[in-house]
Amino acid sequence: MIDGPVLDPAVLDTLRKLTPPGEPDVLAEVLKLFLEEVPPRITRLRNAWASRDIEEVHRAAHSLKGSAGNIGARRLFAVCSQLDETKRSGDLNAIGALVDVLGVEFDKVEGEIRRVMGAASQERD
Amino acid sequence: MVPLQVLVADDEAVSRTVVGAMLKKAGYPVIFAPDGQQAFQTLDTDDPPAIALLDWEMPGLQGPEVVQRIRTKQTQTPTYIILLTSRDSSADIVQGLRAGADDYVTKPANEDELIARVSVGTRVVQLQAALAERVRSLEEALANVKALQTLLPMCAYCKSIRNDQNYWEKVETYFTQHSNVAFTHSYCPNCYERFVRPELEALEDARAAQDRLKRR
Repeated sequence: MIDGPVLDPAVLDTLRKLTPPGEPDVLAEVLKLFLEEVPPRITRLRNAWASRDIEEVHRAAHSLKGSAGNIGARRLFAVCSQLDETKRSGDLNAIGALVDVLGVEFDKVEGEIRRVMGAASQERD
Repeated sequence: MVPLQVLVADDEAVSRTVVGAMLKKAGYPVIFAPDGQQAFQTLDTDDPPAIALLDWEMPGLQGPEVVQRIRTKQTQTPTYIILLTSRDSSADIVQGLRAGADDYVTKPANEDELIARVSVGTRVVQLQAALAERVRSLEEALANVKALQTLLPMCAYCKSIRNDQNYWEKVETYFTQHSNVAFTHSYCPNCYERFVRPELEALEDARAAQDRLKRR
């Protein structure tokens, strides 16, 4: 079961409030880093799955989980956690299905980040 | 008081930036390491950061390995180390603490919890520093006591003392240098009778003689 917001507004708000006066916006910086750092990891995860390197799939999912949690990407975080949990069962069908869902959820997060960043830059203009 | 420096080691830039921003907001000076190897190098110096937040899973050296290696070094003021982990099984936590970590925080870190745990670390580090300073001053005092316990050559006539550089010095000088004793000068009743009273009487006589001369 995957539910919850694509990006948790409470987490975004916490990140926004971390910005010290007169410094660049922490939220914008973190979202930018996410967009730079996460897509190569998704690619790495997909490639690992394609070659059935399950250990690498789990390693990539684990690191994605951390980044997703940090920006309040609840649904993406949940998928990563479920993928993490398949470590015990090693159930290939479940892993394959979750790798697909993970791609879908990442696309949603990416869209949402672009929307949030666009809104922020419009506010500044 | 100067806030203690905190090292944040994480290979994920997102986590590193978020945790760093939380600490900076709370007033801590922050330095970063992008992997375990660099974290170890930063900690393995004469003046390491007081507190370190280490990610568990890093390429190369993992958080618990960094802790294990750094704990083999003897130091009076060890870095307070908190592991950051998205693992939350008690077996993992036990493994991290056994490696020598002082605490752990689960990822994603909650700002209030993270800062509260870092301030516990601050307390521990300051307590340790205060104890180390106390031990140092006690050792120094003990060394002085030992110096005073040795055999002191003293002149039988003028009571000067021969110091360790072979110079003769006054008792007062010697003890002021080798202990926390301070001298204040006075006289005992015997010496009053022997030295002070005759001098006072001589002064009186001299004054009386002068008065007689003036009157003439």
